[in-house]
Amino acid sequence: MSDNLSIILTAGLVATAAGLLGPFLVLRRVALTSDAVSHAVLPGIVVIWLIFHTRAPLPVIGGAAVFAILCVLAIDALKGTNLVRGDAAIALVFPALFSVGVLGITRYASDIHLDLDSTIYGEIAFSPFETLPIAGVEIARSIVLLSGVALVNILLVVLLWKEFKATTFDPEFSRTIGISPKLLSRLLLVAVAITAVTAFESVGAILVVTLLIVPATTAYLLTDRLWLMVATTLAIGWISAVAGYWGAVSVDASIAGAMGLVAALCFAIALFVSPSYGLIARSLQRRRRSRSVQRELALAVKPQGAGADT
Amino acid sequence: MGSLIDLLPLAYPDAVVVVGAALLGMTAGALGVFAVLRERSLVGDALAHSALPGVAVAFLVTGAKDVGTLLAGAACAGIVGALMMVGIERTSRIRPDAAIGVVLSSFFSLGIVLLTYIASTNNANQAGLEKYLFGQAAGLLERDLIVMAILSAISLTLVALLFRALKTTLFDPNFAGSVGLPVRVLEVAMTALLVVAVIVGLRTVGAILMVAMLVVPTVAARQLAGRLAVVLPVSALIGAVVGVTGALLSARAELPTGPVIVLVGFLVVMACVLLAPGRGVIWRARKLARDRRRTLTEGVMVDIETAIHAGPPPTAAELALVSGRDPRVLRRVLRRLDREGMLARDGDRLHLSEIGAAAAHAVLERRNLWSAWLEHGWQLQLPDAREPNPSDLRASLGDHYADRLQALAVKES
Amino acid sequence: MRSTAETLAAPALEVRRLTASYSSRPVLWDVDATFPMGALSAIVGPNGAGKSTLLKAALGLIATDAGQALIQGRPVKTSRDRVAYVPQRDAVDWDFPITVREVVEMGRYAQIGWVRRVQRSDQTLVADCLERVGMAAYASRQIGQLSGGQRQRVFIARALAQQAQVMVMDEPFAGVDARTEADILGLLQELRNEGRAVIVVHHDLGTVRAAFDWVLLLNVRAIAAGPVADVLTPETLRRAYGAAGGLETEEQEPRWAA
Repeated sequence: MSDNLSIILTAGLVATAAGLLGPFLVLRRVALTSDAVSHAVLPGIVVIWLIFHTRAPLPVIGGAAVFAILCVLAIDALKGTNLVRGDAAIALVFPALFSVGVLGITRYASDIHLDLDSTIYGEIAFSPFETLPIAGVEIARSIVLLSGVALVNILLVVLLWKEFKATTFDPEFSRTIGISPKLLSRLLLVAVAITAVTAFESVGAILVVTLLIVPATTAYLLTDRLWLMVATTLAIGWISAVAGYWGAVSVDASIAGAMGLVAALCFAIALFVSPSYGLIARSLQRRRRSRSVQRELALAVKPQGAGADT
Repeated sequence: MGSLIDLLPLAYPDAVVVVGAALLGMTAGALGVFAVLRERSLVGDALAHSALPGVAVAFLVTGAKDVGTLLAGAACAGIVGALMMVGIERTSRIRPDAAIGVVLSSFFSLGIVLLTYIASTNNANQAGLEKYLFGQAAGLLERDLIVMAILSAISLTLVALLFRALKTTLFDPNFAGSVGLPVRVLEVAMTALLVVAVIVGLRTVGAILMVAMLVVPTVAARQLAGRLAVVLPVSALIGAVVGVTGALLSARAELPTGPVIVLVGFLVVMACVLLAPGRGVIWRARKLARDRRRTLTEGVMVDIETAIHAGPPPTAAELALVSGRDPRVLRRVLRRLDREGMLARDGDRLHLSEIGAAAAHAVLERRNLWSAWLEHGWQLQLPDAREPNPSDLRASLGDHYADRLQALAVKES
Repeated sequence: MRSTAETLAAPALEVRRLTASYSSRPVLWDVDATFPMGALSAIVGPNGAGKSTLLKAALGLIATDAGQALIQGRPVKTSRDRVAYVPQRDAVDWDFPITVREVVEMGRYAQIGWVRRVQRSDQTLVADCLERVGMAAYASRQIGQLSGGQRQRVFIARALAQQAQVMVMDEPFAGVDARTEADILGLLQELRNEGRAVIVVHHDLGTVRAAFDWVLLLNVRAIAAGPVADVLTPETLRRAYGAAGGLETEEQEPRWAA
């Protein structure tokens, strides 16, 4: 497999895994959980280094996952006290975990250059270099790992589609029919944590955060059907992966950054030209409405009352 | 500024850091109120991330690497990002969290692309630009403190001058608009103040940890106070105390300042959330358990009293049957009543002891008083909007009115 | 007479000594109440009397301090399939990308079970329910594009789709136009005639007198419960509404003259 294809496939798999969960995060107004996770995993990496003296990807992903899950559950618990709102809970938990990680590095691990850029902020350009032999073919490790995560997410969302839909739309009703919103919320957050952690290592944190938030938000501007929102999210994710790679190569810039910018561009376009919720469509609607109201008023004041039947 | 630093019994560099942390904590504490209470706690996160492209553009445009220029770049990018957040929320159906997330991801992606571009233009000068994201309090200079102090003073004065308008807008933007306040301008102003706070913190604790500095003091202060006029100064105070404590601890332990400050703040918030009187998790849980227990005990006492009036004293099993209570729960309550000397047992038949009977009568009287309130309360002509608390009508209405209520009930019957 | 005896034997909803509180202030206090099957029942009382709280506690949605609730003689935990709940409408996100049909399908989720998908038979039932509330033509609309009355119809259709014997509604007529109110009331009476129990939190005593069979008068305590004509007397009303004087009916004697 060529390096180009391998990188695009890696990014596409991240877009798939993230795109399945992103719409639910956006609809539940917890989009920024993804950014929280991206910072909260640091102590996990430090702990793994301290215990096993390794930076091998699988143990690192394991350690990071533990702290990512800790982070999302702590946010959930803090929110559950009803003393702290969801957004503030996020802003309290992740900097604390990040601080623990930074202190761990300076105290115990400063000699190993466990520097943030290369460890949690993986670089997608290097993803094709680590390979695993699968059925005699060398396949990038990131592709193998991310395929697994994407598959799990597909299963999760397909199998629990109606449960996720019901608990996101109307949690109280869900409780009366025996579907626990708390359970589904935790399941979703744990899935986000594991997806994010696995993807950080291959493509870097910011691309994962971007792909969890931006395509789903863009899709939210474009559609009124949940399944269509998920489908649109996936499409925008893949467009970002392909176009971003092409753009990065042609101007020799960061691949992850370029992919993020393409996603942002998609958002900007949707914000302006979305047929139902875009700025242009809405201002046209407003103008049309006011014009028709004016016309009716004009008809109504005519003495013959021609507008009586409108 | 210099004399203040000399006054502190600390080594000069440590003293600078402590003063910086106090300034930062105070400013972030006061200004963070306008993020947390608008449910936009993570605005700081987006502003912090948007500093990266700001720094990169400032470097590209000026070629300079001095702190002032780069921070000015970060501030400009922060204001652009803030306006975009407000704009996205205002003009579309996107919620604050997603708007923050979009701005955050877009700006940071842009920053990364710009950094790679700078790197590819072979300018060896660029190394370390991204270090601005992670703060180095140790590098703080007295000159930085003066800049911080001026920015803090300006923003805090602004808050003091606009306090009433800001409060109205925070609480009820629609009402604020209806009385002619420029709500949009005020909302942008609040976000602009946050930009100032983030810029002030960038050098000391770094961008990411700045998120916590904005939120910690307000959340803690909110647990302790209920009025904005109190929350704001308390928040500033908590911010300053957290900053100083963290800075001193980190100096002693030779650890980086930012993370220590943030962890101190986190502990303070957790303590407030758990222990705050009248509100904290533990306080509430204990109160709930106490109330439950009392309701249950009183209910069982009334059950016994009623049963005794109706016939022979009941056994525990009979009581469970009559009252429809879980026998296990009932046994537990009876044991508690035994301990408190409320029960007088006669074989396995249950009586109330003298104090038990008195307590049961008190409960019944409270309940009768409540019935009397429902029936005759409208005749009382209470002097103000006081409302009865069913569990203690006498205290909530005042003795005078409770007596009148009783008299009315007696007259009627 | 026999049928009366039977309905009394297994009431739709029975609340025993229910006590619930919000932060130390009792909202419900030792409430005993019974709602029969085959009747249209109302829970009425002044603001803050604990009407919604009673429903939520009965459905196990909030923790109670003491007491229990039985749906058709069994604890609510084991009889979720017997009761359908129509919450107050402001609780959901109207921008949610979901169609009218999908909302009504949610009524089937409990019967379908976890993981399994919505079947053809469920879709037929959903279509019937939409037809019954007059919303068949709007099945593919996004929920936010509907008027207040139409939204209420959709949530009633969702409860219908649950095919529960007991239907519980929290202020279904709040913010609904007169025609929708009449339509919904007619539908509820149909359900009653099918032998189901419909329990509605309501505040308009006029409607209750005219259209309901059974009523619980609530003011933190159960003031009175029973057939409408027996319960809604000037005496009990005065005890329920107390000094608030907030009676919506005009047939009351002028109390302030007393």
